[in-house]
Amino acid sequence: MKNNKRYAMLIDLRKCVGCHTCSVACKAENSFPVGVFASWVKIIEKGKFPHVSRSFLPLSCNNCEKPICLTNCPVKATWKREDGIVMIDQHRCIGCKYCIASCPYDARFVNPLKKYVQKCTFCHHRVDVGLVPACVETCIGRARIFGDINDPNSLISQTISTNPVNVIKPEMGTEPRVFYVGLDLDAADPIKVWKVLED
Amino acid sequence: MDIQVIYNTPYYIPLGIFIATYFYLTGISAGSFVISAVTVLGGKKEYKSIGKIGSILAPVSLLIAPIFLLIDLEQPMRFWHLYIYLQMTSPITYGTFLLSAYPLNGVLYAWALFANKEKTAKILGITGIPLAICTHGYTGFILALGKGRPLWSTALMPTLFIVSAMVSGIALVILIASFNNFFFTKRKDVEKAEQEKKLILNLGKFMGATIVADLFLILNDILVLLTSKTEEYHVAQLLLFGEFKFLFLGIEIFLGSIVPLFVVFFPKTGQTLRGNVFASLLVMIGVFAMRLTVVYAGQSVPLH
Repeated sequence: MKNNKRYAMLIDLRKCVGCHTCSVACKAENSFPVGVFASWVKIIEKGKFPHVSRSFLPLSCNNCEKPICLTNCPVKATWKREDGIVMIDQHRCIGCKYCIASCPYDARFVNPLKKYVQKCTFCHHRVDVGLVPACVETCIGRARIFGDINDPNSLISQTISTNPVNVIKPEMGTEPRVFYVGLDLDAADPIKVWKVLED
Repeated sequence: MDIQVIYNTPYYIPLGIFIATYFYLTGISAGSFVISAVTVLGGKKEYKSIGKIGSILAPVSLLIAPIFLLIDLEQPMRFWHLYIYLQMTSPITYGTFLLSAYPLNGVLYAWALFANKEKTAKILGITGIPLAICTHGYTGFILALGKGRPLWSTALMPTLFIVSAMVSGIALVILIASFNNFFFTKRKDVEKAEQEKKLILNLGKFMGATIVADLFLILNDILVLLTSKTEEYHVAQLLLFGEFKFLFLGIEIFLGSIVPLFVVFFPKTGQTLRGNVFASLLVMIGVFAMRLTVVYAGQSVPLH
């Protein structure tokens, strides 16, 4: 029987408080070493006092529907599960870093201890036993929702259908499967902030 | 609008100088092989010395090049995975087979040329030209298919790589041929040396023509980048006014293209061996600067 599930994540930025609990939980769950991140929160501030705001943007691998890393991996170490999670075979990865160079989201990294490429896999080991990813479990504002977008009765499907959602860099044609509600344009734009940093 | 980043994770550059050097060496190999094969297929006896130089340079530089790829791997002992787990959509996979077939062809070709087996050399030259072009063209595809990087993901990249490969390949052939001419042939046979010198000067003119083609392609690339999307615009700014202006405008364009072009086509310097050697040296440096610029500037625009 074919598995018709398609796992996805939705992050409601109206509920995000920028506490970095997701980043910490991710590191603890997956034992990622110091200096590399599979899940992180970018924080920006904009405006002039008193009209100011702070925007949070939790980022991770988007587990795209059409991942360019999968197209470009020369040894098929990157592969996609039937439920849509993009995986890396740690025994097959040769560490050519081409996937890192071609990912538009900078979601991948070389594990400095184990010497192969890693990224967010929606905590597939937890998902397989019926749990939700560690970042979803620990989110204090319950801003993260994880579930099957092919099931119309799931919370994530209902939230996507009743809210304006967005993804990061839709122009890349990768069809990301991490959705955002209340995504700030300035937080999602790396160039704009980068130019400001240069001045 | 005031925007400030309060927190973000560090931003890494995954591909570095090893990859740039690898691109440089395959470029030299492809360029010198094509020059060698063209002179041999042309059939004139006096061209043969140039053909031999190119036939040695091509396999030698291509035997060194994969070493750089290997040490750049995080798991060098797993390189054999490339031969058994094939992902045909990845340029690295077809590159693996090109990188295996092309040096083999090159070594056989050099052997045939030195053993005076005219017919075999010609056949291997004909099979080698597309192999050489593909071997360097695929490295352009590696960058062109990296769709996250604004500088790389352009259809111009493979062509740009092949043209700059011709430029650097011819430059190295001129360098070695001039060295050979000045120190060896001249002492043995003055008449033959004169003939060879004429050939080298012609090669210099040909190099000038490829530099013009290279400059034209770079102009196309920069103009389109400047008027394209935001990321593309900023990467062009980085090249023209940012941290890469010295490497790109100073070394690649001015020292590596415009000065040699002037030296080669200016009658006073273009008709001397010394002028051509000087131009070729500058071209070699300029093309290496081009590889560095493409690899580093392409990855210098932040993605998150």
